[in-house]
Amino acid sequence: MPITHSIKYATLAFALLGVATGASASDADDFPSKPIQFLVAAGAGGGTDNFARVVRPMFEEALGGARITVVNLPAASGALAHQRTATSAADGHTLDFASTTLVTSLAAGQNPVGLDQVTPVARMQSDVMALFVNPERFPDFESFVQYAEENPGKVTVGGTHTASPDHVAFLSLRDASGLDMNFIPYDSTGNATANVLGGNIDATTTSLSPLLSYIEAGQMMPILVFSDERLEDYPDVPTTVENDWDLTDGNDRAIFVHADTPAPILQRLEDAFKTVYDSEDYQSYAERVNLDYREGWMGSDEYRQRLENNYELYSRLLKND
Amino acid sequence: MLEHFLGGLAVVMQPLNLLLLTSAVFIGFIGGALPGISGVILVVILLPVTYGMEPTTAFMVLTAIYGATVFSGLITAILYRAPGTPEAVMTAFDGYPMTQRGEAGKALGIGVLSSAIGGIVGTIALIIFTPMLAKMALKFSSPEYFALAVLGLTVVASLGGRLIYGLIGAALGLLIATVGIDPLTGTSRYTFGNLNLAEGVGLIPVIVGLFAVSEVMKRTLDHGSHQPLTKVKVKIFDLPILRQIGMTLSRSSIIGVVIGILPGIGASTAAMVSYSETVRWSKHPEKFGKGAPEGIAAPESANNAAAMGALVPLFALGIPGSGTTAVILGAFIMHGLQPGPMFMLTSSDLIYAVFAGLFIVNFMILLFSKPFIMLFTKLLNVPYSALGPIIIMCCIVGTYSVRNSLFDVWLMLGFGVAGYLLEKINFPLVSIILGLVLGPIAESELRRALSMSQGDVSIFLTRPISATLLGIALLLLAVTLITPLIKRARRNATA
Repeated sequence: MPITHSIKYATLAFALLGVATGASASDADDFPSKPIQFLVAAGAGGGTDNFARVVRPMFEEALGGARITVVNLPAASGALAHQRTATSAADGHTLDFASTTLVTSLAAGQNPVGLDQVTPVARMQSDVMALFVNPERFPDFESFVQYAEENPGKVTVGGTHTASPDHVAFLSLRDASGLDMNFIPYDSTGNATANVLGGNIDATTTSLSPLLSYIEAGQMMPILVFSDERLEDYPDVPTTVENDWDLTDGNDRAIFVHADTPAPILQRLEDAFKTVYDSEDYQSYAERVNLDYREGWMGSDEYRQRLENNYELYSRLLKND
Repeated sequence: MLEHFLGGLAVVMQPLNLLLLTSAVFIGFIGGALPGISGVILVVILLPVTYGMEPTTAFMVLTAIYGATVFSGLITAILYRAPGTPEAVMTAFDGYPMTQRGEAGKALGIGVLSSAIGGIVGTIALIIFTPMLAKMALKFSSPEYFALAVLGLTVVASLGGRLIYGLIGAALGLLIATVGIDPLTGTSRYTFGNLNLAEGVGLIPVIVGLFAVSEVMKRTLDHGSHQPLTKVKVKIFDLPILRQIGMTLSRSSIIGVVIGILPGIGASTAAMVSYSETVRWSKHPEKFGKGAPEGIAAPESANNAAAMGALVPLFALGIPGSGTTAVILGAFIMHGLQPGPMFMLTSSDLIYAVFAGLFIVNFMILLFSKPFIMLFTKLLNVPYSALGPIIIMCCIVGTYSVRNSLFDVWLMLGFGVAGYLLEKINFPLVSIILGLVLGPIAESELRRALSMSQGDVSIFLTRPISATLLGIALLLLAVTLITPLIKRARRNATA
């Protein structure tokens, strides 16, 4: 009996020791102390998924060796991925790869995981949003505005589902410009684009990179870009800021962790992603997928501040819709 | 065009490419035959492997896998009523009864031949019509899709069995389809605050549950429903059969191509529509669901034709026509290529090599499917007490892997029990699937069409294509409802 007792105590002691070392493992030097999981808040094969899978080997290298698995959790616009990140241990081993949809769906009340539960490590991509039309219908933004003013309530603008970055970009444009337009949500960017090409709707608000080949073929044209400066490739296309509308949000891709992750670990993660971002491999990937129109990088603190501001703006816009 | 195609064929015939293509076909066979592993998942898994390849080779491999999975879903659908892919659901309706009658070999032969013919028709259409058809598909907008879905739903009336069950089933399917976040307003419907339901009820858990799991339950619980064990001999070219299904094959291949080309509607819908049309035009609609050869020929030729058709908008416009083609689009972008209007001009070598590869793949299906099927038919002689649990395990793993969701597994098992009970009262399960697949299309396109017209219903009648489709639906509905009445009146008159 006493022997089993002592064994029990010994096990207990070891267990406590284990907990104690576990706590001091917040020391960023030991990181990563176990395999890392990338949760992708989107389906396999999409832009966010490609992003996570391309970054994975580079990130392994930047950490000086790590084992990483990628899991797709597309359900509920990625809310399940955010939820799992928020309920996992706050030790930086569960990373959530998400797009702007995280904050737009939060503002729409579809995502229960708030910015107090998950926090950004860094933003690495920001695809420029723009208003696209068939150039045969509207040669420029002026003619579009003129048509919209003469036909209030008749203009139809397509984009992906409700509370998507496309939808929020539309709402913020309508709010700023005061034009009377309607939004029609589609299942995918492809469907919205097809309807603009076929002349079934008037325009679409979406990000630039997926539509480049239509622009080259002259079938679609951006007539307004959501940016503070004109883009080098489109010097004739006016910006929102020129029109005194402070709308520069793009469709971002960023990495999130549990909000209580210790600061040294968060810093270590941010540094590792910065190394990846600055690498030649990553930059050539960004160029290949046309995400080099503007600086994608934004550090943890700056991006958190921006998301919080956006959350308030988007909540207001979606509530008034 | 022929010159381009021959150039493409030369690329495919290079030994290394031919070897890769053959292995891609086998990988596709295996993936397609296992329930839950669909073309989408397989392409995603193999995507990183193709990074190291030349783009031309990479896309030949990816599209070959895609073509082969669409085909091989029929094997388990016919043998065990466990469709390997969603595209093969309709094949189980008549394929499995044939297996139960001891005609598995005949059923599989019809499936293989129909798949290959559908695939070849689809590939030819792909090669000839890509530039032309892509423009036409753009005429299809929300009113037209809504009309198409309505046309599909009217089939419930001619499915046979008790009409009231058919209507209840379709309504049930439509109801299940409404679960989840409403894509147009973002409101949660019937989710009960459960995040797992926010995305809606997946097609895979419902299909696998209703068909595969319920069948295993039936075989286990109801004694005396054992099928006769016979030697399965697959005969692909069988002239009398070919004569019988020739008409069905040509009609279904064309339906498949047309539906495949429409962006956003995939091979599963094509299989469903062509099956319903075959029932509608048949002189013996009562034979369907009980092992009619046409019931295999229709969905199998249509889904393979549609799989090829779905590549038309992808290559010509950069718009994916189905789930798998959406993933292939992602793969193109990863390789630094952007499918779109300019793609045919800038990358014609690559495109024609892919076309030629697909052409070859369909012949490979004819050639290699027999030995592959033999592997599966050997399993028929394994006692069901061992096979049943294996099927259930495959169902669980497959369903889980689609969304990494254990919730979906419970949902699937629930639908399994429901399917088992519903079959006891001869409830037509197909009507539920019909509602589930066509419901979201009908609902969201109706609402989109109305926001396009600012609420004016006349949009459905002023656009020629939607007006025609709705007219046909109405006419067919009237015919199916009135014909039995006339027959009864005649019988009364003569009596």
